[in-house]
Amino acid sequence: MTSIGTGYDLSASTYSPDGRIFQVEYANKAVENSGTAIGLKVKDGVVLAVEKLVHSKLLVPGANRRIQTVDRHIGLATAGLPADGRTVANRARDEAAGYRDFYRSPPTLKTIADRIGHFVQMYTLYSSVRPFGISTILGAVDKDGPALGYHGAAVGKGRQLAKTELEKLKLSELTAREAVIEAARIIYLVHEDAKEKEFELEMSWIGPETNGLHVAVPKDLFDEAEAKAKEALVSGLE
Amino acid sequence: MDHHPTNWGRPRNDTVDPYGTYPIHQRPTNVPKDAFAAGIQHTQQPIVTGTSVLGIKFKDGIMMAADNLASYGSLARFRDIQRLHPVGEHTVLGAGGDMSDFQYIQGILDELMIDEFAAGDGHTLGPAEVHNYLSELMYARRSKMNPLWNSLLVGGFKDGKRFLAYVDLLGTTYSASTLATGYGSHIAQPLLRRAVEGREDTLTEDEARKILEQSMQVLFYRDARSLDQYQIATITAKGVNISESRKLETSWSFAEGIRGYGAQTQ
Amino acid sequence: MFRNTYDSDNTVFSPQGRLHQVEYALEAVKQGSAAVGLRSKTHSILLALKRSTGELASYQQKMFRIDDHVGIAIAGLTSDARVLSNFMRQQAMSSKMIFNRPVPVNRLVSAIADKAQVNTQEYGRRPYGVGFLVIGQDQSGPHLYEFSPSGNSYEYYAMSIGARSQSAKTYLEKHYKSFDDCSLEDLVRHGLHALRETLQQDKELNVNNTSIGIIGPAGASETGVPPSGPFRILEGDKIEVFLQSMVPKEPEAPAAAPAAPAAAAAPAADEDVQMEG
Repeated sequence: MTSIGTGYDLSASTYSPDGRIFQVEYANKAVENSGTAIGLKVKDGVVLAVEKLVHSKLLVPGANRRIQTVDRHIGLATAGLPADGRTVANRARDEAAGYRDFYRSPPTLKTIADRIGHFVQMYTLYSSVRPFGISTILGAVDKDGPALGYHGAAVGKGRQLAKTELEKLKLSELTAREAVIEAARIIYLVHEDAKEKEFELEMSWIGPETNGLHVAVPKDLFDEAEAKAKEALVSGLE
Repeated sequence: MDHHPTNWGRPRNDTVDPYGTYPIHQRPTNVPKDAFAAGIQHTQQPIVTGTSVLGIKFKDGIMMAADNLASYGSLARFRDIQRLHPVGEHTVLGAGGDMSDFQYIQGILDELMIDEFAAGDGHTLGPAEVHNYLSELMYARRSKMNPLWNSLLVGGFKDGKRFLAYVDLLGTTYSASTLATGYGSHIAQPLLRRAVEGREDTLTEDEARKILEQSMQVLFYRDARSLDQYQIATITAKGVNISESRKLETSWSFAEGIRGYGAQTQ
Repeated sequence: MFRNTYDSDNTVFSPQGRLHQVEYALEAVKQGSAAVGLRSKTHSILLALKRSTGELASYQQKMFRIDDHVGIAIAGLTSDARVLSNFMRQQAMSSKMIFNRPVPVNRLVSAIADKAQVNTQEYGRRPYGVGFLVIGQDQSGPHLYEFSPSGNSYEYYAMSIGARSQSAKTYLEKHYKSFDDCSLEDLVRHGLHALRETLQQDKELNVNNTSIGIIGPAGASETGVPPSGPFRILEGDKIEVFLQSMVPKEPEAPAAAPAAPAAAAAPAADEDVQMEG
């Protein structure tokens, strides 16, 4: 990288001579060091899935979550520095609570995404702070139905392959249940591609079966999806 | 113009003009004010009010009742107000007193329950925690001489345990197997005690409902700020259920024989 | 001399997307003496190695009680630990005051993690220079968490932090599957065995340099513990019985060899410095 040592890459408040803000680009590197996160918006709901890299076998499975709940109906998945992810999630919760307090109604995803966008952007302007080392996917089912900003989204290390896989799906025709199966398959696929250390699949959804709430995918469906994902991997390799 | 109901019929105090009704250039400045005008004035009475809430223990949990009326003074102003509010999966809050303060409390509790839900760690606030929270809230407000003008019943069922307790605008709390607020604490509480005490563990849901129905009926006969439309909340191991609005069966033919009130000639 | 220009400020990402100041703070944790934590179905426990600055000095404090149901062991800067543990105590008190509920342990750990994250992002601050092992008991049973200056927190079956904690970690990874059904005595013995791995060659665990923190029902040698089994720190004579229960280490010449270079690489790591814990 030609920028290193030029002094134009030490602060988010400095442009390089060719108009780049290197600190923001470096923050993206932090995202690429972490497991993939994907979001699927389908016919009747939204599914979020994360490839959680496991750095020790002493970790308690299922604890240490990387998908957060922002409001009853809004979920947030992050790739990048986990501590930054929590900070943004906390801010999103505050925004949602503030919206509810002011308007006495549940916030739409667009409102929250806009506000979080503004919040995160502030950290790309000043030398006194560093940008967030995360990329975030927000999903919801609000008054306008399922919402994600995209039909499918992917961030983190395996995002290119994940996006290719998402593009193959007819997302607007899937049910939330079917989307859970697909999400698990894609996470397993991108993990296999990267040949990383161990990982744990984490999935949440909002759909007709959750009563409009953002909750973890129930165990039976999770197990089914994980089994099918492993199956697909084996048959895909043959 | 001062539209506040407490000031109806009182002469306007032109030296105070709390609503700024004078044109700016005519507004009196630097005029002597009465001793209290410079101070902050807090709530001194409720405005739109709800009347009694009843709550009893029964075999499988807690049952509560409250009518659907919000009065404006003696005017039956709003007749479709719900005064039983679910708080999470295990708890119901019933409120008498100022209805806007009650709505404010609902907003606080809703936000609290969303925070709990968002934590997503399996820890939830049960009725005992909600009641403790409310008692702190009410006591803190009254200690600022600015109370939330309510008397509240918190009923719930969590981890196999029933919970029923009271908290009011002073932050006073107590707990019993039958509770009633407002007018109901005078009229219905003795009836509830006779029907429930000693039988908390045998009363069936149907029997409990009948007891509350009868008490609500007596209250409708006796309490001029009550309504014959009411709801019943049942909280058991299965969770919270708040009924649709139901109507009391009452008979007023006996009123023909009453003498001493109204416009009879003899 | 070559200077890494991306490491003097915590508001700068390196071109690789790393935060060097945060990574250096993690090194500060490794300067402190080791602490080990583990849990069974019924208990969660902490063990820590205390240092003394000399013959005339007392041994440092490695464990802090937060509430009846939460305790911590620290490695790194003691002063930072005291700031954070005071904050944890306040959180625990306010949960008791407002809800009459013991604060859920995971929320307590997340609260300090969120505090620590701010110090990794804003100019003019430094990340905390201390790591915690947090044990606790709540509605969902015994827990063990690690908190670190990066603002991350994780829940573990067993974990170690501080100087030469990797050796203890290796022991824990070998045995952690059996911890779930352990009695308190067996659990403490495993903990002591793990902690022993972090010692320098000529040192051993004794009643002066070892602390044991326990949450859960009383053990066979304990007296006067309420049935709820609140957090308690055992030191001095009370831990003699546990030290006695240790199985002597088999003299394994080849096994000791790989540990030696690590110690040689950082010969000053175990020296005593005033600020360190």
